[in-house]
Amino acid sequence: MLGSLRYAACSSSRRLYSTEAPKVPVKLIGELRKLTEVSITKAREALSSSNNDVKAALQWLENDLVTSGAKKAAKVEGRFTGEGLISTAVLSHGAGSRSGLGHGGVRAAMVELNCETDFVGRNELFGRLAADIAHTAAFIAEPSGSETAFHEYSLDLLNDAPLLSELQPGSSTSATVGSAIRDTIAKVGEKISLRRAVALVENAPQQTQSSFGLRLASYTHGAISIPTQGRIGSLALLALKGPQLAELLASEALRNDLARLERSLARQIVGFETLSVASPAGEKLETALFDQQFMMFPDNSSGATVQEVLAQWAVEKGLVESEDAGGLAVLDFKKWTVGETADPSTQPTDA
Amino acid sequence: MNIGTIGHVDHGKTTLTAAITKVMASAGGAKFTDYNQIDKAPEEKARGITINSSHVEYETANRHYGHIDCPGHADYIKNMITGAAQMDGAIIVVSATDGQMPQTREHLLLARQVGIKKLVVFINKVDQISDPEMLELVDMEMRDLLSTYNFDGESTPIIMGSALAALNGENDKIGAEKIQELVAACDEWLDLPPRDLEKPFLMPVEDVFSISGRGTVATGRVERGVASKGAEVEVIGLGNSFKTTLTGIEMFHKELERAEAGDNMGALLRGVKREQVRRGQVIVAPGSIKAVKKFQAAIYVLTKDEGGRYTPFMSNYRPQLFLRTADITVSLSFPEGTPDAAEKMVMPGDNVEMVCDLHFDVAAEVGSRFTLREGGRTIGTGIITKILE
Repeated sequence: MLGSLRYAACSSSRRLYSTEAPKVPVKLIGELRKLTEVSITKAREALSSSNNDVKAALQWLENDLVTSGAKKAAKVEGRFTGEGLISTAVLSHGAGSRSGLGHGGVRAAMVELNCETDFVGRNELFGRLAADIAHTAAFIAEPSGSETAFHEYSLDLLNDAPLLSELQPGSSTSATVGSAIRDTIAKVGEKISLRRAVALVENAPQQTQSSFGLRLASYTHGAISIPTQGRIGSLALLALKGPQLAELLASEALRNDLARLERSLARQIVGFETLSVASPAGEKLETALFDQQFMMFPDNSSGATVQEVLAQWAVEKGLVESEDAGGLAVLDFKKWTVGETADPSTQPTDA
Repeated sequence: MNIGTIGHVDHGKTTLTAAITKVMASAGGAKFTDYNQIDKAPEEKARGITINSSHVEYETANRHYGHIDCPGHADYIKNMITGAAQMDGAIIVVSATDGQMPQTREHLLLARQVGIKKLVVFINKVDQISDPEMLELVDMEMRDLLSTYNFDGESTPIIMGSALAALNGENDKIGAEKIQELVAACDEWLDLPPRDLEKPFLMPVEDVFSISGRGTVATGRVERGVASKGAEVEVIGLGNSFKTTLTGIEMFHKELERAEAGDNMGALLRGVKREQVRRGQVIVAPGSIKAVKKFQAAIYVLTKDEGGRYTPFMSNYRPQLFLRTADITVSLSFPEGTPDAAEKMVMPGDNVEMVCDLHFDVAAEVGSRFTLREGGRTIGTGIITKILE
């Protein structure tokens, strides 16, 4: 009698269980949030649709992010994004960077990722995303083959590219750059937009041309947690030339000196108003890198210009014999500042 | 006292501010400021620096509040450094539907950085959550996070309500009543900063005169505290600190017994030669402040649009430092342990933490503000965060 009663109670409760959505224990919601950083309502929805199984809820969330991320992205679409980060990724510095044999191509990229407030701009999640997009852009870029060294990305193309994480190169996520941006929008609730991206890819010169090499310099100013990103960034392409170049680059001391000079150059471009490499013939513009006083080079107490310092350096290090031989030159550069291309008037703030 | 609201853009910061003014206005303690009047965050200039922030004011039975709302991290930092609107406390706004978000961490870090010791949390939009357990979770998570960032997570008041309901005058239980509860929590939990009058006496020396038959008189405007005739005082700074007695107080050629914060006074000092006292020193209650030569400070470097430098500077840059009436050459360097300090640069527009090495010592303490000048123009402004020597 008692047994059958218990059985009845049991079965009725079981029936309840199957018809109504199960009660979601708060503890699990908390746990899920620690794992994913999704909103509290979302975490609950995920658990209740997957019978309070955290693993299944994670799966559910992954699927849901596609739709909810898109929905959230659509909701914030009209908002203005003037904050964010410039993020650079350098995969190969160029000549001398691999095994010191004097060859090695140049491969790098720079992206601007925008958000609405600098709170999100300072957040690690956002920084990580910017770094991964820059890494992806550098990784998948093709040699341009054209005259201009820098190659502007079509943003549509980059948005559809699979996101390659810098930290876990082997990870096989199905995320694309675009979907990763939408996921982050869903998490931080702010509009995030990829403003622009540029890549620089040059294959190593032929072995026979070992007297010629390319190098890459980069700097970002105002780094918060990741040193390769900040408020202002620069990438510069350098050319080295000299009969003994390959032998010289084999020396670690020289490579360190070169790296130091490169950092100074990239800082000079960021720190001073720099619009071009050289002035037009017959003029001396303050915005031309070569005609600026090289203030960012610590060994330049005499106040020589960038061009003079580069020429002296090339002779001093034995690249070439005379200062006119052009042993070391900057071919081209890019300098970006966060928000400089954002125009608040064309993007109305939240109505 | 000044408080600010910090929170995610969609969590209802501005609605809350508007709701507070509305509820307080009905009690006669404020002027109602509507949502769209607050949300503009006008650009303003403080010490020549452009800051975006909006202000409202309201009063409770015990206190007067200046309420600040800035759009970004950088604006709050500039407010702190310039002292334009130093926040003594803050309300963190979190929506019940989202809970804390990744950037909530940045909000708490900011509060720490601008020197806020106590916070009040407002969980907004509770009408959109039906399950009380969910609200408990938001509460619990918030307390956890507060503790992680060294706030008192256990005792911090967390108020749950709906700013929108309060603003629209609906559902008083989660609306107006909760706003009153929030303001009461601010009254009770947030500490009032000490008033200038209650602090120990300090007068920066502006000028020094020798009056025949009487002695040496130092003039200046009393910055804080109260001085009485006959009190023991200390003269501090510029390599020459000593004790003496305040034998007389003069104001507008009249002898007085007492001077207090805000007064312009002449201080007659016993047995002191004119050469011993100089502009830039301070006269203080003994032991209340020390002369320092080296300290760490948070510095904002003015942009060229603000009249600052056009170019970056590097370690060992030497501008003039102005602190009260003192004008001292200072050498700026990066704090110990900064990677690549020798190559690091500081650009106009940067907020940066630097070590300041002074040529002469000067009376200063944590929280003292100063400006940096070069060739007659202001290039930066800062606030001392740590005394080193």
